[in-house]
Amino acid sequence: MHHVVLERWSRGDSLLHRRDARAKWVVTPLFLALVATAQPFDGPLGAAYAALLVCSLLLARLPVFQALARAALVLPFAGVFALAALLSGQPERAGELAVKAYLSALAVLLLVGTTPFIALVRGLESLGAPRFLILVSQFVYRYLFVISEQAQHMRASSACRGGFGRRNRRAALRAAAGAVSVLFARSYARAENIHRAMLARGFHGHFHPLRHGRFGSADAAYLALASALLIGLRLAMPRL
Amino acid sequence: MHIPDGFLSTPVWAGMNLAAWPAAGYLAGRAQKGFEETRVPLLGVMGAFVFAAQMINFPVGVGTSGHLVGSALLAVTLGPAAAAVVMTVILGIQALIFQDGGLLALGANVFNMAVVGTLAGWLPFHFWGAGKGRKAAVFLGAFLSVVVAAALAVAELLLSGIPMPGAILGISLALFLVSAAIEGALTLAVFQALEGLNRDFIRKPVPARGGVLAAVLVAAVLLAAVGVVFASTQPDGLEKLAENVGIADRAKAYFGTPLADYETRFLESSWLRKASAGLAGLVLIYVACLLLGRMARRQRSV
Repeated sequence: MHHVVLERWSRGDSLLHRRDARAKWVVTPLFLALVATAQPFDGPLGAAYAALLVCSLLLARLPVFQALARAALVLPFAGVFALAALLSGQPERAGELAVKAYLSALAVLLLVGTTPFIALVRGLESLGAPRFLILVSQFVYRYLFVISEQAQHMRASSACRGGFGRRNRRAALRAAAGAVSVLFARSYARAENIHRAMLARGFHGHFHPLRHGRFGSADAAYLALASALLIGLRLAMPRL
Repeated sequence: MHIPDGFLSTPVWAGMNLAAWPAAGYLAGRAQKGFEETRVPLLGVMGAFVFAAQMINFPVGVGTSGHLVGSALLAVTLGPAAAAVVMTVILGIQALIFQDGGLLALGANVFNMAVVGTLAGWLPFHFWGAGKGRKAAVFLGAFLSVVVAAALAVAELLLSGIPMPGAILGISLALFLVSAAIEGALTLAVFQALEGLNRDFIRKPVPARGGVLAAVLVAAVLLAAVGVVFASTQPDGLEKLAENVGIADRAKAYFGTPLADYETRFLESSWLRKASAGLAGLVLIYVACLLLGRMARRQRSV
């Protein structure tokens, strides 16, 4: 499963991995906003930001080519609209759309690839996000893999028994709906078991982290440096 | 349709974030009140279920298969507020982990799919879910949840000045209608299977009273109309049409010099005006949904 790749990347150790999630939560949206508001988004700025992202990937010791390929997941969607822009005679607009979408996806990938998901949402929580949303997202992320695996097992076993397709389409549809409803019921039951087990272990609405992240001077330095670099590049580029 | 970053213009993404996050916070508060705090595992596991259910392919049509989106199914099982919270979380995880949708555009995606989409999926069931029209209500809810979310997304893209020729607009509209019908059929099929399994999974809606029907119809018409109006305010398309037909030249000939100055000023300000008009429309939908939600809650407590 490809999402496990990101999990492995985020467990790495580098200068960027060690920075506090809160600092990254400021720098990444800043980058995205600077890219989104740049109008027109011209070549030099795009090249400078792309170089900055690649340098960061190298600094984080992430596999650069894999990351570049993964960020290309946005290109099919962007490509359709870029094609539409091309057809309506705006080639520069088409390029801008594709480049902006790609660089933004790469920046988000850098954020997620250098920060474990749990640290990411904890950072959001300490920045003031509603705790209920944070709790739910921790659970979704935790059980995503478990329930997906269960769905895969169900798919495999149904294929062993002759599969969902082939004969009568109506029967096939009902079989698939039945599979989803069984998955629903099993997930529901699992949630109740989890709930009971958590209550038995003294859960009262909050997870206690093993390590408390501290916002150190290195994090502050990273925040200041990265923001200054991004804003400086944006301001300097049009005049070059 | 998950909008990536780089597509929405600044007023649109900023406005959508401003609209979406307070709404998500409000819904989270309501969901928290509806459930005991410690039942949060249920919402989390059901979110994981939606991800997993999307892996099960349904055979639809010739050689193609579709999968469930799930917001309407969650709404009729967990209730609208909890479903909206779960969908918000799912969209966030899709943006972060699966590179599906942007981070700045997350506000827009949350607003389209998790807030308005889920409410649209719930409303028909809320009003007709108890009577004979139960199945139709489930189908209609799932259908609306996809159509409304897609219409909003297209409207936002058009407002941002993404060039979309009429042909592409038409094709994507047709695709949306087809996928909405598929979502309706799949949701209905799963709904019936769930009902056969255990009736307690399904929420029990309060039977509707008179007058409410009108409100729903108005809301539906409003949503549809706003979508169409957005689509037709696309400036480039209209201008191009005018150019092609030759009105532009003739218009210039008729309204020669006296209007020239005014015209440029109008063009300069028109972008801002259209954007603000669009945002005002979105705010209107938002307020309408909030009011409907209030009404629905009052009714349930009666």
